[in-house]
Amino acid sequence: MLNQRSKYLQIAFNRSLDEVRDMIAMLPASEKIIIEAGTPLVKNYGKKGITALKNWWSEKIQKPGYIVADLKCMDRGSREVEAVAEAGASAATCLGLAPIETINEFIRECEKVSIDSMVDMMNIEFPFEILQKLKKLPTIVVLHRGVDENERNKEKQIPHDQIHRIKGTYGNVLISVAGGETPRDVIRTFFNDSDIAVIWRSFYEAPENTANLAQEFLKLVK
Amino acid sequence: MQTQKPQKFNPIGLIIIVLFIAFSINPILGVIGIIAIIFFLKKNPKYLTFYLSNYLQTANKSRGSLTEKNQLILEKTDLIGSTMPLQIPSILFNKTKTRLEKRKKYLHVALNSTLEEAREIISQLPTSDRILIEAGTPLIKIYGTEAVSQIKEMAPAGAYIVADNKCADLAAREVEMMANAGANAATCLGVAPIETIDRFIEECQKFNIDSMIDMMNVESALAILKKLKKLPDVVMLHRGVDETEFSKEKQIPYYQIKQIKGNYGVLVAVAGGDTIREVQRATFNDADIVVVWKNFYQASAETAQLAESFLKEIK
Repeated sequence: MLNQRSKYLQIAFNRSLDEVRDMIAMLPASEKIIIEAGTPLVKNYGKKGITALKNWWSEKIQKPGYIVADLKCMDRGSREVEAVAEAGASAATCLGLAPIETINEFIRECEKVSIDSMVDMMNIEFPFEILQKLKKLPTIVVLHRGVDENERNKEKQIPHDQIHRIKGTYGNVLISVAGGETPRDVIRTFFNDSDIAVIWRSFYEAPENTANLAQEFLKLVK
Repeated sequence: MQTQKPQKFNPIGLIIIVLFIAFSINPILGVIGIIAIIFFLKKNPKYLTFYLSNYLQTANKSRGSLTEKNQLILEKTDLIGSTMPLQIPSILFNKTKTRLEKRKKYLHVALNSTLEEAREIISQLPTSDRILIEAGTPLIKIYGTEAVSQIKEMAPAGAYIVADNKCADLAAREVEMMANAGANAATCLGVAPIETIDRFIEECQKFNIDSMIDMMNVESALAILKKLKKLPDVVMLHRGVDETEFSKEKQIPYYQIKQIKGNYGVLVAVAGGDTIREVQRATFNDADIVVVWKNFYQASAETAQLAESFLKEIK
């Protein structure tokens, strides 16, 4: 469903639903923006949060919007995927740290309900090892530095060098990079050949500034 | 229902008489007496809910025999039960949330399918402080924090509720959400970054709830515990449902229970399957908490039966 040639900006929303509605209304109506229902939002509002985001964003861009449900699935892959697909999500995430059986089941179920599968490589040193073990490849691989990690331990870095290697070996997976927050990080992400850049913090901290921030970041997405 | 007053000896009357005598002998003695009673109740808040627990035992017995038509009434009484009587201790001691005790064996019932089914199972469970009720991850992801607060409402007042949020990042937000929804414990993944687990345990202490670390897909739980700044309250040894279904040969590492308990003062929970024999096996291996979940194929009555025999056979 995502275009292989295009670059995307994924914005994660974690505030209360009322605030998120206003924030989405302020966004420029661009197809290059992907809306993510962050894990805290999913755990707080459940399916109805995802449906609400889907409706607001589709209304804004006047066609079915692309919504990512950041499930961070760890077990019972099929059950959770089914639920969010029903709620209107276009993609769901699974932890790379989950048992291989769960990831396989997750990818299979995503194909069955025809949504994109994202495997989140947070806290994994060598994403390659995980990809090798899988029966089928996911649609998108997410290279990710956790928020708590970032705050407490500055030395750890997003493994930009992995992007080329993964793309070289597995031609058609898309790469998404999460954990960089500044415009510089986003430039660097795209320069290293990533397809999707995920941001959230600046939007979380200054929701009233959403319009400007989105314009600014969107300029970086070629 | 309100006429069902327990016909038991009233300790409060005696206490008042003793206090009165103490005051008439020497006011200072009386003051000391009052302070002693406050301390005693603060340590054992269950005595405050003495009448409540009696009432609940009778009410819950009759619950099973009531038909579905009375569901609404039951919901109402649950609502009253969950708000009214417990207000007394919560006013007196702001933060008396039930916590787990060492040396007790617990049965941990995980609810994963739908809220309707959860209601059915909860209504059949016996009332005991040794039964923990869990709002499973799928429920939380489908219904949000409502899953936790609804289950708390369905359960008898004062029941211990676990929110299986399986936190992987942003620990502070999630713990706050779950604690506010009424959970007595939250879970965090052992595979999450160490910074997240540390943060999670800190936040749980701040909100006065128990922290549980789920060691699913972790090879050595000890290696994780070693890296942490503070210890969690509970370590969960766990085999995922998908793993169990697709590769049968993997086993719950029972031998790790003793290793962990020998080195660290934490409670250990294991997922113990769904027959009483398997549950016995887990407690025999020194597990403090045995987790059972209801399969789709299994009647909820069986879960209730399992709980009954657990309470009877495992002390």
